Amino acid sequence: MIRTGITGIDEMLGSGIPRGTRVVFSLEPGVEGRMFMMRTIASALSEKKNVCILSPHCTGRVFISECMEILEIDILKLGGKAVILDSTVRESINSREKKVTSRKLAWKKLIEETLEQHSIDVFFVYFDLLYEDLGLMKALDLLPTARERDRVTTVVEHLNLEGDSLISRFASENIFDLIISIHSAFTLVPFFNFFTLEYVSWARIPRRSIPYTVAGRNIRLYIPKIIITGPPASGKSTFVSNASDSGISVDRGDLDGYRTTVAMDLGWLHFRGFDITIFGTPGQPRFDPIIPQLVKNAMGIILLLDATRPDRFVRAKELLDLAHAEKLPLVIAVNKSDLPHQMDEVTIRKVLNLRDDIPVFFISALKRPDVHYVVESMVDRITRHPY
Amino acid sequence: MYTYKTGISLIDEVKGGISPGSNVLILAPSMSSGEKLGYAIMRPQEGEFALVLTTVMRSVDLLDFFSSEEFNRDAIGVIDSVTKLSTPDVSDTTQVKYVSSPSDLTGIGIKFSSLVESIFNGEFPPSDQALFPPPIRFYIDSLTTLLMYRKLEVLYQFLHVMTSKLKKMEAIGIYILNNESFDERTLSLMKQLMNVVIEVKSEQHGDFLRIRGVPGAPQEWVQFKIHKGTLEMVA
Repeated sequence: MIRTGITGIDEMLGSGIPRGTRVVFSLEPGVEGRMFMMRTIASALSEKKNVCILSPHCTGRVFISECMEILEIDILKLGGKAVILDSTVRESINSREKKVTSRKLAWKKLIEETLEQHSIDVFFVYFDLLYEDLGLMKALDLLPTARERDRVTTVVEHLNLEGDSLISRFASENIFDLIISIHSAFTLVPFFNFFTLEYVSWARIPRRSIPYTVAGRNIRLYIPKIIITGPPASGKSTFVSNASDSGISVDRGDLDGYRTTVAMDLGWLHFRGFDITIFGTPGQPRFDPIIPQLVKNAMGIILLLDATRPDRFVRAKELLDLAHAEKLPLVIAVNKSDLPHQMDEVTIRKVLNLRDDIPVFFISALKRPDVHYVVESMVDRITRHPY
Repeated sequence: MYTYKTGISLIDEVKGGISPGSNVLILAPSMSSGEKLGYAIMRPQEGEFALVLTTVMRSVDLLDFFSSEEFNRDAIGVIDSVTKLSTPDVSDTTQVKYVSSPSDLTGIGIKFSSLVESIFNGEFPPSDQALFPPPIRFYIDSLTTLLMYRKLEVLYQFLHVMTSKLKKMEAIGIYILNNESFDERTLSLMKQLMNVVIEVKSEQHGDFLRIRGVPGAPQEWVQFKIHKGTLEMVA
């Protein structure tokens, strides 16, 4: 196994990339996605692997300085051995060999010798110029063969100017074992980046898209908004507080002496490689006008019910409607289930008219493991949801 | 609707300027004033920004050129694909970003997005006349160099993506290409991405331009001069 060095991805892949597989990071133009490849290079070198980096677009020195700029790491000091086949190699082959077939043979020979001579574990390829010089199939032929692949893991980065058709081809023809495409949701400016796990050959992982941010020279998978809503006193503030690493709650005492949320609860947590922001809505009907605003751009909704208060179902249904929950991943958490109650899953599903695939969990929001179990389910649903 | 003044009276007086989302191709032979014409059209007006991809001049020389021509340097961002070839360790600043070489389309796209984001986030020095969305002129100097590093089809696909982004941003693109160095197919493919084509020629008594793609604008050769980075049409 080698790790990508990006926690959330490694977790999803089952601790990393198996030895001998082929991986491609396919970048949409204009998206800062170079860190995926560079992080993987740094991770392999940190694990004392021998790596070969084929970077025909620049000299080795420029490549190392770019890694330094992007990762703030001197990749040559990480412990593993790095052999770089750079732009000077390409220039030499292209000036020596005029025909595409002989260029391909020259590359093939050089790559095989390099992999053999340096006992290379991981072969990193910046693919664009090879594709351009040789054509797609000949360039793909340069990647280690099935025989060599038992030993060598291949990781490719390319700029995808052909869109989804190329990705589909990579997947349908089993050219790569892992395909990750990297995109940006672009309006006037790229307002968030996301990657899509398009295909994994060694595990049954559904196609999923996940936003990410580049923070502190690292890629952090990012869920910008999960909404916690539910009737008054169902335990939303407690849930947000116990789910979060840090947060704030805007509570005030009401006329009956109870605490009630007047604007929102806000919590942040780093969970299974994801940076997550949680917004808790108020439950009182007088705050209903702000709920559609709070829900805007949310990626998922957790509805919290109070197991001891079946009379609040109507309010719960109102909140689901206000939040347009039918369009988003939804999880139901039935709080205070450690207290005597009569609420059961069948009734909840019937009254709230829930689809079969929406999970219902009986929890106590006072217990962090219960809360984290619900958040984990939400994260899982978000990563499977086709936004 | 905001329009971009070009300084070419034939365009500015007939159409009020260039519409957002437009792409202007300058076809100029070597040793002509085509490059300077490109910079004159790229020159940001009050409240505007300009981004330039340089494949010919180092950013440090380009910024000197902007100073000498009295451009508002605060409003200009540069993607430099030249300097790293000789100085690999040079680092990005807010307004100057470096890519490894003109062949590095991945880097060019990323640095372009990064500069646009900086403009939208207000990280460039503020202007007295801030407009939203900020009008941006993007100049590639030059397609001639990019075509030496990348194949025509690849560059076409890349420019197709870039022009779509410029359209969304309501920006304009300006590109210069040496029409003596490429065949008709190359010129024809590049023209497909453009709305306006300006042909340039140099003669003994001066430089001339001719405009294509602006309905209503005269299509004959007109003499021009560039003084302090500003375009002047010779009556």
